[in-house]
Amino acid sequence: MKKPKAIILRGTGTNCDIETLNSFRYVGAEPELVHINQLLAGERRVLDYALMAFPGGFSYGDDISAGKIYAVKMAALAADFEAFVRDQRPVIGICNGFQILVKTGLLPENKANAQVSTLYTNDCGHFLAKWVKVKINKKSPCLFTKGLPDEIELPIAHGEGKFIVEDGKVLDSIIARNLHAMTYSENPNGSMLDIAGITNTAGTCFGLMPHPERNFFAWQHPDRPAAARETTAAGYQFFKNAVDYVS
Amino acid sequence: MPTTLSAFNGLDEKELAELDAACGWSLSGLELKEVQRQFRKMGRQPSRGELETIAQTWSEHCKHKTFSGPVSFRDGGKVKKYKNLFKETIVKATKTLNKKWCLSVFTDNAGIVEFGTGGKWGLAFKAETHNHPCAVEPYGGAETGVGGVIRDILGVGLGAKPVLNTDNFCFGRLDTKKKLPRNSHSPERIMRGVVEGVRDYGNRIGIPTASGGIYFDDGYLLNPLVYVGCAGLIPVDKIEKKVLPGDLIVSIGGRTGRDGIHGATFSSANIDEETSASAVQIGHAVNEKKTLDVLMRARDLGLYNAVTDCGAGGFSSAIGELGSDTGARVRLEKAQLKDTRIEPWEIWVSESQERMILSVPEAKLGKLETILNAESCEYCVLGSFPGDGRLLVTHGEEKVVDLPMAFLHGGVPNFEKPAARRKVKISAAPPARPAGLGAVLKDLLAHPNVCSRHSVITQYDHEVQGGTAIKPLQGKYGDGPGDATVICPRAATLDQEDFAGFAVTHGFGPGVGRIDPYQMALHSVDEAVRNLLCVGADVSRTAILDNFCAASPRDPEVMGDLVLAAEGCHDAAMAYGAPFISGKDSFYNQAKDAEGKEYPIPISLLISATAPVRDVRTAITMNFKEAGNPVYLAGVSCRGMGGSVYNDMTYSGNNQVSPLDMEASVKLYAALSKAMKAGCVAAAHDVSQGGLGVTLAEMAFSGGFGAELDLSGAAAEKGLTPLELLFGESPARLVLEVVKEKEAEFLKLVKGRPVAEIGYVSEEPVLEALLGGERFFREDINDLKRCWKKELI
Amino acid sequence: MIIEIWTKEKYAGNEEASFIGRLAHAGLKIEAARLSRLYRVDAEFTRDEFDKLGSSLLTDPITERYSLSPGKTGLKDAYRVEVWLKESVTDVVGESVKEAITGVMGKAPGAVRFGRAYYVRCDSEVKLKHAVTRTLVNAVVNKFKIEKV
Repeated sequence: MKKPKAIILRGTGTNCDIETLNSFRYVGAEPELVHINQLLAGERRVLDYALMAFPGGFSYGDDISAGKIYAVKMAALAADFEAFVRDQRPVIGICNGFQILVKTGLLPENKANAQVSTLYTNDCGHFLAKWVKVKINKKSPCLFTKGLPDEIELPIAHGEGKFIVEDGKVLDSIIARNLHAMTYSENPNGSMLDIAGITNTAGTCFGLMPHPERNFFAWQHPDRPAAARETTAAGYQFFKNAVDYVS
Repeated sequence: MPTTLSAFNGLDEKELAELDAACGWSLSGLELKEVQRQFRKMGRQPSRGELETIAQTWSEHCKHKTFSGPVSFRDGGKVKKYKNLFKETIVKATKTLNKKWCLSVFTDNAGIVEFGTGGKWGLAFKAETHNHPCAVEPYGGAETGVGGVIRDILGVGLGAKPVLNTDNFCFGRLDTKKKLPRNSHSPERIMRGVVEGVRDYGNRIGIPTASGGIYFDDGYLLNPLVYVGCAGLIPVDKIEKKVLPGDLIVSIGGRTGRDGIHGATFSSANIDEETSASAVQIGHAVNEKKTLDVLMRARDLGLYNAVTDCGAGGFSSAIGELGSDTGARVRLEKAQLKDTRIEPWEIWVSESQERMILSVPEAKLGKLETILNAESCEYCVLGSFPGDGRLLVTHGEEKVVDLPMAFLHGGVPNFEKPAARRKVKISAAPPARPAGLGAVLKDLLAHPNVCSRHSVITQYDHEVQGGTAIKPLQGKYGDGPGDATVICPRAATLDQEDFAGFAVTHGFGPGVGRIDPYQMALHSVDEAVRNLLCVGADVSRTAILDNFCAASPRDPEVMGDLVLAAEGCHDAAMAYGAPFISGKDSFYNQAKDAEGKEYPIPISLLISATAPVRDVRTAITMNFKEAGNPVYLAGVSCRGMGGSVYNDMTYSGNNQVSPLDMEASVKLYAALSKAMKAGCVAAAHDVSQGGLGVTLAEMAFSGGFGAELDLSGAAAEKGLTPLELLFGESPARLVLEVVKEKEAEFLKLVKGRPVAEIGYVSEEPVLEALLGGERFFREDINDLKRCWKKELI
Repeated sequence: MIIEIWTKEKYAGNEEASFIGRLAHAGLKIEAARLSRLYRVDAEFTRDEFDKLGSSLLTDPITERYSLSPGKTGLKDAYRVEVWLKESVTDVVGESVKEAITGVMGKAPGAVRFGRAYYVRCDSEVKLKHAVTRTLVNAVVNKFKIEKV
């Protein structure tokens, strides 16, 4: 069977691209790292791929605010990105990637350049890297979290992860449609309703602050039970689900 | 510009000294005379650019004149002479050991050892300091320190991919009572700035900051120490670099500006009130990330023949170094500038950050430019390496430097420095025993040099790249203090089926150094090796880095400390079979205090160590894992409270340093290593700051288990007091939790070694320690943890 | 032109509390504070163009607002502390924002510098200055001014 092509989008300051590439390759995709400059120059087209990932990092230094400059650069390609999401091809944004998806407006409503929510400075005021427990919303349409247990552990590593929706109606609608696919068991950053990740209505476009690629194998966990050394961990499922969906 | 400059060759000693001070060169009288002699011989006056180039190239930072110079060491009635202290101690050990797995030592920007089993990869490792800039502008100083050491790794061989950053800091006590001079920052402000600088730079560039330590002592009040390190992976066929005549000189990354004038000379002058603004910079991590991304792609395509970083001395050092055989022809008007208000000689020596110099064959420039543009990385072609051995630097019509390379890299005049053993009064009396050992344990856990570092560590992205297998924070609650970090560098190798990794850790003990610098070196190497052992690394393949920081080498006792510590390094490296692969030193870490008196730091030696981990999945953490498992103490507990945290809290009346028995510890570690490989060990933790009591407490509360212990069986030196057993810091000891089902096998493997059962892990969350019929303490582990888990920042 | 970026008051509690705490630690008691970011954009743009920069690039539309006339806050009887990097120090954020502005506007501004403003209600300017030099600014790299608003 032909391997599905995954586009791993880079830019200046993207720095979780290699581990995201490794993760997609491990679950059977054919990932390619593509710099946004290549898209803007027309050397690559997003619609030539089956899967899309926005990895973590500090795109353009996160100057102004996290993911902002990258999101602004994407504006010229808005139609392509909207079409990709409309086609229900899987998109995952991790950490900085989630910030980018939210700041373009691709999440939650697939309207590029119409931002309805944001990820703001953590309540503690600075970057925080630690392992957290997150709850999986079983009613969510999110395809990436299918088959996961009720609660899993993942590491977070961000300074701006506080999910905020200004308009109460938008928030109600997110909840009503179960777009909040993942919530923190103990809120580390002040996110509204403890939200750690949200999806679009189709469940195909998903952004989350925690890093599934950092709990991909059991050996990546800080508490190392000897029995789990050989196995994959919760993070593996996110990538596997995406590849299964398009295969 | 000082008017005397144009008449340089005719200046007398006093005028030369004044000129040196005005230009901030930090050259000695002897060196200035030598420069004069050379130019008189050439029959012309030097240009400003030439003098600046010489000042940079001959600076302490670039040449390490003190450590590599002649020394006469007086020890009581005896005198020992060294022609080159560094070569006769540290380098000598490496040469004698002559390990095959050392691929590059002391020659390049970093040392390189073999990595993994396939013979395909090398591991480059380097650490250095950025002390003075951090004292003046902690945030920018720390940022540019991190950026600098990362560039060392990018510039080793044809470029290694950084996979780990390390950071070790020394600050004054946050609760210091000493009055600060007018221009000094408080330790708290320095710590905050340094931590934020390391955080913002390391996190942005995407390299895990996952190994290090923080040490508080008022000796560092005016001169904080900031050690930054970096490890990277390099294909073994990319270790050799050679500039070919005709290659182009290409500068990539940041632009050049006035912000980078006089950093190299800065590091050898004592900090004073006139420190100029241009000596400190703010780092630009994103620019460095661009150069990293470009370099890795260009390296794999073979687009350049050599690379090095722009560090101290800027273009002058980097191009001078690359072109030391070929000569170099440089056109400074081609440089990308931050702004145009800059003199040509300033462009030449500016230390603006985030720049790398490549030696590029003309035919490959086009391909390189494509990559540079794709990554939005700025660059300029500065000239070429002609092959005539001449350094010719121009700016338009102006000649900035015109010298034979041999002059710059030839003999720097050096003179013999006197050194003498420091007199320290030793009291070997049995230490006074306090009432309430449980309360002492709690105080020790809360001591700034023992308590939790989580509030700092969690600000660093210590897991980016996804390869941090053993983390700085570990255990059941993800907050136990690890002994060493283990990295599985698959973001560099891209090999998902290979579980080979490497461990990195440190040893540091200025408390011991104040009493006995020789033992400090031994203890520090031992601590580092032991930490590596705790995570299950193959310690027979340990490679180490030395980083010395000291006060003024003009003080014979400071030089004496250095000689003793260097001799200790040699002896420890030989005993442990652990070669030094790279090292650095930083002197003049002293300043005037509020009363105007010289205030020097104590002799400080950071030993950074790395060893391979065959399979990261089998690496071991430090927390207790299962109730019922037996607990063992390995190593002999010896007399002496010297250099201990306990003595820092309450002087016990004994300041004797326990001497390290290296032969015994090497045998012990070999046996333990076998037991770990056989899967007998569930947890291991070294006994260091705070002693055995602290080690046991940390293992207990990090695993959420208690322990019932009776220390009467522990191997001990004759006359050892309970205080020394519990809170003394004699070296070469570690605590092990042994898998119950494998206890018999364990005992067989460690037979004949000082390894004694001292109790077992218990379900009840209480740590109890007895000595026969006497109870030392019985404490709730959650109470102990509360004392330990302080917010440092 | 200086564009001032404000966190909307309902989201600014944390940054204000942490700021007040930090200065309290340096010995200054503060009744109330407001914080803002400043971008000095040296360019011949029209007011509409600056408005576009403010709204589409420099602010987060959910949590922030911008102003082209700096210094206006609801805080009465307060001091305004304005902090910049010295011109001789490379302004990393400024450089990055300059690049972004060039992308959005299709033309490059001359220079962009990034700074911060702190609005502080406290009883003494002398004490304020003392606390500011101990926490917020470093004379080696920063320049700052304090004025009454």
